[in-house]
Amino acid sequence: MTLLEAAEKLGLKPVAGLSRLSREFVQGYVSDLLSDVMANAKPGDIWVTLQIHQNIIAVATLKELAGIILIGGRQPEKQTLAKAEEEQVPLFLTDLPAFEVVGRLYQMGIIGRK
Amino acid sequence: MLDIVENSLAAGARRVEIRVEENIAADRMVIEIVDDGCGMDEERIQRALDPFFTTKTVRRVGLGLPLLSEACRMSSGEMQIQSCPGKGTRLRATFQHSHIDRKPLGNIRDTLITLMTGHPLVELLYEHRKEDKIFSLDTREIKADLDDIPLDAPQVVSALRTLIQSGLEDLGAY
Repeated sequence: MTLLEAAEKLGLKPVAGLSRLSREFVQGYVSDLLSDVMANAKPGDIWVTLQIHQNIIAVATLKELAGIILIGGRQPEKQTLAKAEEEQVPLFLTDLPAFEVVGRLYQMGIIGRK
Repeated sequence: MLDIVENSLAAGARRVEIRVEENIAADRMVIEIVDDGCGMDEERIQRALDPFFTTKTVRRVGLGLPLLSEACRMSSGEMQIQSCPGKGTRLRATFQHSHIDRKPLGNIRDTLITLMTGHPLVELLYEHRKEDKIFSLDTREIKADLDDIPLDAPQVVSALRTLIQSGLEDLGAY
């Protein structure tokens, strides 16, 4: 599934990294602890989080994540948006809570870990 | 803490002093790390807070300072850096002690052992105050007592591990 397809199915609003929305992804990770993501997320994961600070873009870059979904209606900080665009890290917004986003992704065939 | 001290060492520090103060009455925790490394000018201090600034060559991001800064902010605290080229750096991170989002200090014992054994020639002071109790460890004094026995000798490391653990347990910090 591509990021664009997932965004359309879930009603996610893409706000940065639009050049990479055709990227395919098959796995995801949900965590709000950046140290946990740095330790346990895998390249290509879609990351679901409520963190909005620009550090999330650095972590996504470091771990080569497919993109980031910000949940619960949260808005990225101005610098986060700027960095996401600069690094072309796909960033999506949704009003849905994390549990709902992850559940729906899972139903669509996106897995956590084999 | 490990990340921040590694920054000090990369800046050529020969002595690093780590002070932790837990003041329950004032509802404040302060971590202060002082080094005698090469120091930074004002522009570099600002850049150090950018997660996309790093002096490392193996990756594009440096997250130690940005993550610590954010951790302070999330627990109603702040981080301040004072530095001057040639005069070392002082980092002060404050946290509201009771804040529900304040991250735990982590495994101080293993952090200190890692630093001491990884950099046996560097002097390391660790001082932890909690209310009216204090635990303090200074590798300069330890090395003076050890004479020629290296700090990273297995029996020394084992003794230090026990010393740190019991000291922090007495504080109620472990």
